[in-house]
Amino acid sequence: MGLIDHRFGDNIITTNLDSVLAWARKNSLWPMGFGLACCAIEMIAAGGSRFDIARFGSEVFRASPRQADLMIVAGTVTKKMAPVLRRLYDQMPEPKWVISMGSCSNAGGPFPTYSVLQGVDKVVPVDVYVSGCPPRPEALLYGIMRLQDKIQKENTTLRRERAIHLGGTEPILIEDRG
Amino acid sequence: MFKDFLRSIFLVDLAKGLWLTLKYTPQPAFTFQYPSERRQVAPRFRGVLRLQVEPATGAQTCIVCDQCAKACPDELISLGGHREAGLKIKVLDYFDFNLSRCSFCGLCSEVCPTKPVKALIMSEEYELGTYSREAQIMRVDEMYDGVPIEHYTH
Repeated sequence: MGLIDHRFGDNIITTNLDSVLAWARKNSLWPMGFGLACCAIEMIAAGGSRFDIARFGSEVFRASPRQADLMIVAGTVTKKMAPVLRRLYDQMPEPKWVISMGSCSNAGGPFPTYSVLQGVDKVVPVDVYVSGCPPRPEALLYGIMRLQDKIQKENTTLRRERAIHLGGTEPILIEDRG
Repeated sequence: MFKDFLRSIFLVDLAKGLWLTLKYTPQPAFTFQYPSERRQVAPRFRGVLRLQVEPATGAQTCIVCDQCAKACPDELISLGGHREAGLKIKVLDYFDFNLSRCSFCGLCSEVCPTKPVKALIMSEEYELGTYSREAQIMRVDEMYDGVPIEHYTH
């Protein structure tokens, strides 16, 4: 995408630059709170002073996708909401990550119905799935730490493949879904 | 008028505000240092589903009665076993639990009839995060109680 993205082989400059970039990225994940249901309350609790997501560098919950790195999808995604979610994801600048929080956004939860999207990974590529109904704030922090581990392993300038592939399933565009 | 002027000269309102900040400063921090310190979960907390074995012998307690699979409102559990000569209970072959949809309602462990050791329990584990949806299906070897889930505790 950029001028230096995935263009170089292994040498002392690029490998060190990659690890510094990854370190910087993982320690300033600005989330875009995508609170849709009860999971949002736990996400807000994680942002409060008791659990304090700021200890992981993610305290700035942005209301605009243009300023965010991480989308935390917290709650039931309905099929009416799915195009909006995809649009907001597209508006986020690269590099971007997605955490799917809770059973509803992981797989549809207890709603196998016509109106609920059966997993947010049908619309956007998900990096970390946090299970729980709703997950405790600690579980969300655990998910963020797992994402930080993943970001540390990602390559920016190197031509090499990423250590962990993004998402479990490939995203399906809204137009392509039956 | 003159009083207001003096107030603004001597920064009375600013001092008032700062005094309030200072008053709360010596209090101990309210923040709970999660990865290094862990909160005690509430009694009857429902975490991830786990299988239990006899604590003394390590023998299987699950009798493969399929009641948990029937009780599950989202049909997330599937299990099976086979009979072996000389054994009273069926031997558990597979126990697949699809964590992705689970709403942690606890109906499966409530109907579990085994006594005195319950075969299915809702454990106190809540740190569940995976990189893929396939990894959220827990197989029988990951289901046993005591099999560690990756923690960030030091």
